[in-house]
Amino acid sequence: MTTILDPTDERVPVRRSLTARPESVTGVVGLLNISKPRGDILIGQLEARLRERLPAVEFRNYAKPTFTKPAPLDLRQRIAEECGFVIEALAD
Amino acid sequence: MHDTTWFEINGKPSVFIASTEFTDAAEAQAVALGFPEVRRIFVPHPIQDATDDEMRAKADAIVDLVIEALVD
Amino acid sequence: MPLPSFSLATADGSLHHFPTGRHALLCFVKEDCPTCVLSMPLIQAAAEAFGESIDIWCIGQDAEGNARLAATFALAAPMLDDSSLHVSYRYDLDTVPTIILADAIGDELDRFIGFGRSDWQALFQRLITVTLSPAPVIDWSRYPESRPGCGSKSVEPGIAERLEAEMEGSPIRARRIDVGESDDIFEFMFEQGLTDGLPVVPPTPERVVRMLTGTKRDPQEVVGIVPPNLAPVTVEKIAINAVMAGCKPEYLPVVLAAIEAITTEQFNMHGVLATTLFPTPVIIVNGPIRDRIGMNYRMNVLGQGNRANATIGRAVQLVVRNVGGGRPGEVDRAALGQPGKYTFCFPEFEERSNWESLHVERGFERTDSTVTVYAGGAPNGIIDQLSRGAESLATSYGLALATSGHPKQYGHGEIVVVIPPEHVDTFAKDGWTKDQVRARIQEVTARPARELIRDEFCAEGITLQQAERIGLDTLVPKFRDPKNITFVVAGGEAGKFAAYLGGWVSGPMGSQMTTVKIRE
Repeated sequence: MTTILDPTDERVPVRRSLTARPESVTGVVGLLNISKPRGDILIGQLEARLRERLPAVEFRNYAKPTFTKPAPLDLRQRIAEECGFVIEALAD
Repeated sequence: MHDTTWFEINGKPSVFIASTEFTDAAEAQAVALGFPEVRRIFVPHPIQDATDDEMRAKADAIVDLVIEALVD
Repeated sequence: MPLPSFSLATADGSLHHFPTGRHALLCFVKEDCPTCVLSMPLIQAAAEAFGESIDIWCIGQDAEGNARLAATFALAAPMLDDSSLHVSYRYDLDTVPTIILADAIGDELDRFIGFGRSDWQALFQRLITVTLSPAPVIDWSRYPESRPGCGSKSVEPGIAERLEAEMEGSPIRARRIDVGESDDIFEFMFEQGLTDGLPVVPPTPERVVRMLTGTKRDPQEVVGIVPPNLAPVTVEKIAINAVMAGCKPEYLPVVLAAIEAITTEQFNMHGVLATTLFPTPVIIVNGPIRDRIGMNYRMNVLGQGNRANATIGRAVQLVVRNVGGGRPGEVDRAALGQPGKYTFCFPEFEERSNWESLHVERGFERTDSTVTVYAGGAPNGIIDQLSRGAESLATSYGLALATSGHPKQYGHGEIVVVIPPEHVDTFAKDGWTKDQVRARIQEVTARPARELIRDEFCAEGITLQQAERIGLDTLVPKFRDPKNITFVVAGGEAGKFAAYLGGWVSGPMGSQMTTVKIRE
C-alpha cells in the first residue's frame, strides 16, 4: 500500500468506493473481534450460522488488542494475506 | 470502521457490525473516512447487559445481511 | 518505571507539575463521555475527603468541555487542560475515564479505566489507608456496577497520527491517504480530482519531507489565504503540491513567494480565477536564484523543457486548485482559458539587458531574488526583423499593442512585453530608455476619440457620448498610464521576435502586478 499526503484543504474527505464484490462468498472469511465485552458470543454464534450456510468456506478468527484503536498494521496485513473477506464485530 | 475501510482499500469485501447505539457515529465516521457506502449492520442495543441467549438471537437475525454485505 | 512527568495548567493559568512529591490521583476525562460524567461526583468526593493530603487532579481533553465539567460539578480538584492531548498521548491512553494513582516520586500504584464500582470502592479504601482520613459518605447504590469508558480523544482518527508526528518531531501534519495495492496510484489521483489533467508525482510523506528541506520556514507557517475557498495554506501544503508538480526542493522558496504574491489583496487571485477572460498568474523570477536553481531565460524561454520553469508555475496552479478549490467549470469561469493555466513561469535574462531589471525597477536590490506575478494572457508575437533603430522598433511594438484585446478597446491597464536580446540591442544602439519606448508606444497607439466610436462597421468601441465627453479629436492612448507597460528581457540570441502578454482588468477593481522577495 502507498500512503500519500492530502494536497487539499481537507474540508472534504477523499471519496472512496467499495471494492468490487464477487457473486458469492468463497475461500477464507476472517472474523475480526474488536475485543469489546460480549462481542465474542455474537461472533461465535454468527460463525456457527455462517458455517451452516456456507459449508465450503473456511472461517478464521482474529482479535484486536483493544477496541479503542484501529488494529495494528501487522494484524491487518496478516488478515489481508490470509482472507478474502472480513467481518468485524462488535462495536457498541 | 477504520479497519473495515482499510480492508476495502486493500481489495477485501468487508462488513462492520455494531449496535444501534452506533448508528449515528458510524454514519459520521463512514463519511469522514470517505466511504459513505461502507457496509455496516446494526444489531439492537443493549449489548453489555444482554443475556447469552439474547446475544445469540442478535447474531441469528443478521446472518443473511452479513452474507449479502460481502457479495454483489 | 515512573510515569512520564508533565506540567499542565488550569484554565486560569496556574501550572501543576507531576510528580508532586506526594501521592497523586490523576483522573483523565472528557466532557462528552457519559462514563466520565458518571465518575465526576466520585472524583469530587475524593478531592473533598483526601485533597488535604494528596493531589487529586482532573485532566480534561477539551478546553471548553473542561470548563463545563468544572462548573457543572463545582469541582474542588484542579481541572488541568490537556487539550493538546500531549499528556494523554504519552500516557498511552485508550479510554477515558482513566484513573491512575501514583506515589510521591511518580510510580504507578493503581490504574483502572471506564467505570467500575468495585474499582472505586477499592480506591477509596486505599486512599483512606494512605491519608488516614475518615471515609467519605457515598451512596454506592446510586452507581451501576460497571460502565465501559469512551475512546480517549488522543486515539481519535487523524489525531493519533498528528500526535505521533508531533512527538517524533516530524514536520508532517497533513491527512494521510492510503491507496491500496490494487489501485494504480496515478489513476487514483486523477479520480480524486487532484491533478491538472497531467500525471502528478505521488506526494508520499518521504518526498514531502525532502521537499521541506528546500526552505528554513516552519512547515506549519501559514503563507497565505487561497481563494476561492479562502483556505489558509501552510508551507507543508505548498510542499505537497510542489512535489506533485515535479519541483525539486530548491525550487520551493520560489513557489512559496509566488503563493504569497498571488494571495495578496492587490493581486486578487479570486478575480483572476473567476473571470471568463484569459488571465492566469504569470510568474516572473529575478535575482540570483534563477541560476542557482537552473532556470531557463534563454532560447524557448516561454516554452517547454526546463524543469524549474515548468514545475514552479505548475505548483502554483495546483495550490490554487487543490487548496483553494479553484477548478475550471466551477469558480474558474474562463470561456477559453489558455495553455499558461498549466504553468506560466519564466526568469528575466537580466545579464543580457542594459536596462534595470524588473525587480530593481520595482524597488528591490539587484542581489535580491524576487517573484513578480502578473495576471496575464497567452503570448502574442510581435514580429519586427527589419527595424535598424529604436524608434522604428518601438513603433512596431505600438502598432502591435494597439490591437491587444481589440483595436477599438482603449484605456487598457497593465501589459507585459517580453523583449528578446536582438531587440534589446536595437534599443541599446540608440541608447533608448524603457520610458522612451513606453512613450513611443503611447504616441503610436493614440487615436482620435471619434475613431473609437461604436459604428456599423464594428459595434465594439466607446459610445458617441463618451467620445464627445473626451473630445472627438482628442488623442486617446491605448494604455491609461505608460507605467503600466512592463518590459522583461528574455529569450534566445537569434530571432527578432518579441511577445506581449495581454492583461486583464487592472487597478484596484482588478489585479495589480505584485512583487515579493524570495525568502530561503
